[in-house]
Amino acid sequence: MNEQILISISREYGSAGHEIAERIAKHLEMKIYDRSILDEIANELDVKVELLEKYDEKPKNHILSRRVGKHTNSMEEILAEIQFEFIREKAESGESFVIVGRCAETVLQDFDGLISIFVTGEEHHKLERIMTKYNLSEKEALAKIDRHDRKRQRYHNRHSDSKWGDSRAYDICINSSSLDIDGTVKVLENYIRERIALSKKQA
Amino acid sequence: MAAAQISAVVIFVAMFVLIVLDKIERHYVTLACGLLTVLGVFGILMRDVNAILETLNLKTIITPHFWYAAGNAEESTSGINWATIIFIAGMMVMVEGMAKAGFFRWLCMLLAKIVKYKPIPLFVAFMIMSFILAMFIDSITVILFLAAVTIELAKLMKFNPVPMILSEIFCANLGGSATMCGDPPNIIIGTSLSYSFIDFVTNTGFIALICLAFTVIYFLLIFRKELATKDGAAIDVASMPTPKDAITNKGEFAISSVIFACAVILLVTHAQTGLTVAFIGAVIALVTLITSGKYALELLKKVDYKTLLFFVGLFMVVGGLEQTGILELIAGFIGNISKGNLKLMVAIIIWVSAVASALVDNIPFSATMVPVIKSLAVSQGVDLQTLAWALSMGTDIGGSATPIGASANVVGTSVAAKNGYVIGWGKYCKAAIPATFLVILISMLFIFARYC
Repeated sequence: MNEQILISISREYGSAGHEIAERIAKHLEMKIYDRSILDEIANELDVKVELLEKYDEKPKNHILSRRVGKHTNSMEEILAEIQFEFIREKAESGESFVIVGRCAETVLQDFDGLISIFVTGEEHHKLERIMTKYNLSEKEALAKIDRHDRKRQRYHNRHSDSKWGDSRAYDICINSSSLDIDGTVKVLENYIRERIALSKKQA
Repeated sequence: MAAAQISAVVIFVAMFVLIVLDKIERHYVTLACGLLTVLGVFGILMRDVNAILETLNLKTIITPHFWYAAGNAEESTSGINWATIIFIAGMMVMVEGMAKAGFFRWLCMLLAKIVKYKPIPLFVAFMIMSFILAMFIDSITVILFLAAVTIELAKLMKFNPVPMILSEIFCANLGGSATMCGDPPNIIIGTSLSYSFIDFVTNTGFIALICLAFTVIYFLLIFRKELATKDGAAIDVASMPTPKDAITNKGEFAISSVIFACAVILLVTHAQTGLTVAFIGAVIALVTLITSGKYALELLKKVDYKTLLFFVGLFMVVGGLEQTGILELIAGFIGNISKGNLKLMVAIIIWVSAVASALVDNIPFSATMVPVIKSLAVSQGVDLQTLAWALSMGTDIGGSATPIGASANVVGTSVAAKNGYVIGWGKYCKAAIPATFLVILISMLFIFARYC
């Protein structure tokens, strides 16, 4: 492993995966890429970011889109490919960063510095978090979690050889409910630091 | 036989569903379904070796008639249409050679320069060029280059490229309907029913030309406001890319232009020379490869083998429907509805083909319908050519109606989206459905007036 560190964090909806990613990035003083990638892409393409947000991390519509060779008219697929290219370019530039979602553990699998994490959570914790965050009833929150997780799963499985959340596809899978957010961040940071130390020893 | 018929239909429907779902690459789908047809339906259920041999149709390639059909066009065949596959492969090699030399970009830039980079004349010129190029070259290549150049010019000239891309896509599909080699359904129809290039030009070509005039007017009317440059800005002609910059290698450019001209001449005269489209495709590919020298391997690698394999599998599956008599049943059904009325048959074929092609890939549809119209012509005693032109216009133009109807639509909207110009179903269909309806209506009325 070289000095470049790439931390991919995949997460279940409501598991606080994004917050965990933000804290890790802050503590390790690394840049974080998430939906903010869309801002940069929108800027590059000279379009409104809202236009791209509609298609972000969503599976393609099989009935309303088609693929011809390398070309597809599914905006979801096109945006995914643009984002993958963006992530690859950033990694190729030698930059270290934390990336949330976007099949990054697959996109960056050829980079030695990749540490891939999957964050899961107990259902009641996820429910509580979503109900509070969006002021929803239990039933509404449950439906929202289910909808988002199904979309993420389909999106991931479409673009990856591995299955979403399958422990074999990640370096570490962690349940954020067991230690809460602070504890989870601490464990993950310890793991990351160990990996960095190991890579320095090997170098 | 009933079990074989049901199995053939189930395999055919499964193939269509799997193609639409796009979970597995489409050439794997057709090849697996084709294999299942040959082994399961012909081998196990029918125990008919002849059906297998007829569908694989390998014998036809070694007959002289396959390459040279003096006095007539090529032999009618059932099963795998090797002439179509060899011709498409040959054209793919030629087109790769032309693209590498910068031919298409040069042509686009030249035309832009001729019309002095003015949006409205450019709009009309690109529509006509799209139509003419698609008469001889696959519409995917035509749109790939046209859309890219349109976006490049739009950024420099500050106009919205979406109207231009939409009209180019439509005209590419329309141009494809004008000749035997313009669109895969026409190649399938032409090689299966022994029609020549001239047969197409004087029939569907004539209809397409009339429709082109209406299409240009239609698109001009609906897009005239969107074509205006921002703030009526004056265009700095000196800052525009020049045509000669598009040429990557002058020698290769000259050679690829000559090869293209020869291909056009050979195609136009193939009924007179007796050279079949399979022969023309093979020769053109061979000459392109020989003249490419050390780049020959590179060109070969760029050939879209997946599409060729898709065709092989597709013809096998359609062969299953043909050998089990399903297509005759469909033909009988159309015959019963129309009660021998040719106008009604034409109307059914052209509109059903158009609607089906707007929703699903028009290649499997036309491959399926060719044996149907053949059978219909025999059983009802009507002119096969009339039905063939209706099928050709229906499948070629129907595909224009939706973003997924034809390959050119997918490629055009994909190139636009990658550059930040998202063309959704609403935007696409709002422009394309009325145009498709108009062209299909004109085509039907023309066929009624001329042949019925």
